[in-house]
Amino acid sequence: MTGLRVYSWFLLRRLGLAALTLWGLASLVFLMVKLMPGDEAQMAAGADASAVQIEAVRERLGLDAPVIMQYLGFLGRILRGDFGTSNVTLQPVLSDLSVVLPSTFELVFFAMVINLTLAIPTGIVAAYRSGRTFDTICRIAAVTLGGMPAFWLALVLQYVLGSLWRVVPISGQASFGMAAPVVTGAPTLDAVVAGNGAAFIDALHHLILPAAVLAILFSTQIFRALRTGLLGVLKSDFIMAVRAKGASSSRMLVRHALPNSLNPVLTLSGTQAGAMIGSAVLVETVFARKGIGAYMFNAVAQKDTFAVLGSVMFIGAVVCIMNLLVDIAQLLVDPRIRSAQFGGSRA
Amino acid sequence: MFPSKTQKPLVEVRGLSVDMPLAGGKDGLRIVDNIDFSIAVGERVALVGESGSGKSVTARAVMRLDPVARLSGKIDFEGRDLLTLSEKEMRHYRGSSIAMVFQDPMSFLDPLMTIGDQVAETLRIRGIGRVEARKRALSVLDELGVDRAAERLGSYPHEFSGGMRQRVVLAMALVGEPKLLIADEPTTALDVRVQDQVLDLLDDVSTRRGLAVLFITHDLGVVAGFAERVMVMYSGRIVEDGDVHAVFKDPKHPYTRGLIRAVPRIDQDLEELYAIPGAPPAPMARPAGCPFNPRCSDAFDRCRAELPAVLPVTGERVACHLHDRKGA
Repeated sequence: MTGLRVYSWFLLRRLGLAALTLWGLASLVFLMVKLMPGDEAQMAAGADASAVQIEAVRERLGLDAPVIMQYLGFLGRILRGDFGTSNVTLQPVLSDLSVVLPSTFELVFFAMVINLTLAIPTGIVAAYRSGRTFDTICRIAAVTLGGMPAFWLALVLQYVLGSLWRVVPISGQASFGMAAPVVTGAPTLDAVVAGNGAAFIDALHHLILPAAVLAILFSTQIFRALRTGLLGVLKSDFIMAVRAKGASSSRMLVRHALPNSLNPVLTLSGTQAGAMIGSAVLVETVFARKGIGAYMFNAVAQKDTFAVLGSVMFIGAVVCIMNLLVDIAQLLVDPRIRSAQFGGSRA
Repeated sequence: MFPSKTQKPLVEVRGLSVDMPLAGGKDGLRIVDNIDFSIAVGERVALVGESGSGKSVTARAVMRLDPVARLSGKIDFEGRDLLTLSEKEMRHYRGSSIAMVFQDPMSFLDPLMTIGDQVAETLRIRGIGRVEARKRALSVLDELGVDRAAERLGSYPHEFSGGMRQRVVLAMALVGEPKLLIADEPTTALDVRVQDQVLDLLDDVSTRRGLAVLFITHDLGVVAGFAERVMVMYSGRIVEDGDVHAVFKDPKHPYTRGLIRAVPRIDQDLEELYAIPGAPPAPMARPAGCPFNPRCSDAFDRCRAELPAVLPVTGERVACHLHDRKGA
């Protein structure tokens, strides 16, 4: 296989596909703006703008031009990274996002870590001992927890862990006076940059509850996908062949059954990373954390159109990137997909 | 009583029964019912029967491969009863003393692991180093006629043809140098030309290595050329067991007779192919007496009342009242 060339060609094709998807998303966002009731110029100029000011804004934003020209202008601005200006902060949306995003990424990253460390071992054991007590407990827990609304779970955990038992802080990102100076915007990273161990621990302490709330809901999905996948694989013929070689159960599970049931888990966790950023709206609001969720929540509450649209575009871009990463991961895991993509040799 | 090349049995199965648990019920379903057989060192034995007769279940029972099956009786392998071993002890027998090749080579190979790693795995499990295991895997693949084997250790199962895959599966079984090879319909999923190749290969390898083979098939045509002894299974029991030539020439059990009649022959010009009337009974609905009696043209009253015992009949073992009456 001429590895590198083939891989870069694959990447190029996938990137092209991602670009197309984003174009579609941008068009949808544009359509949303056009279909929204109310005058755009009025919204951009603010609620107490005078008629003259509104007309000035209309001209400046090119809203007097034909719709098709507006559309092309909109796409052009997005390509240049211009998502408009927030009516609330009076800053370009992109610079607002760059301030709040690191905090969200921190939350989602830790939530993903908790999600997978919770779901994968339990999924494996539940499938291997399916029908036994542990499996039953896990399945009941998955249905119960997975069926809970995120905000409710957040409130209950806040009350029990934060208020009754006082093991974790109820909200916020750092204790008063503990935060390291803002460099990246993600408290844990900032603490690492500042070399401040106490601040790092404090930031983690504040992070654990919101990350766990986000993780628990998503890990029930991963658990079920993995359990179902593994149950199917464990019944398959080649697992019997592996046993016939004299392999131990752990070898059979880790070396054979697990890799063969990872595909749905990979796909799901890619989608989840995108969905988690969406769910951050709830979690960041409930826990009073900075981030794209809180930013969007405020933007919606204050009818800050460009801030909402910019955030939507951004979350869309993250989902596209995650899907790309999943495609690449699947390629690395499954030789059959490699052959299908690159045309393998057959003897 | 047991026709075999040497007197020393490698495996001796006594009163083996296999019950499969039923959902909800506490009593299992008896798939294999109290069978006896033995295989001598280097002997090739065919186990023949229709689908559902219990032949594959018997094969898996010998290796204790089905974790839910309940086994009872005795399986003596070189003097140790496999049914009394712990799962961990049993693992030492699998792959190194007893190995298995399966029906459909594609579904019995891990699609995500290279051929080289899968063949070498049997050895790696036993603590043999990576380089040494690879070397031995390569030599077995070479022996089995996988061309350009060295280059293809890194290939995946989907990159091989059916016949080549079956060679890989065979290599996987042979690399641990077993004494008994259980071949569970290894040619059924292959086309006729490849079937012959694989049979020749199996014949070759077992002769060269002095390997005992338990060959499971529903295809009597394959049996004659390969096995020395044939055991016929019907509804979970062995109904006839004897030398291949003797059984083909003079089948004692009406079921065996029917099976042999049902093999199409090129030298006979028949209007219609023969088939045994009826179908084998389901394990939950076995008739009283001999399980074959509803399909048997020679059945008489005793067949409908009493299960025939397996008795010696002129150097064979047969479970049929017809022969019991003669002998008495």
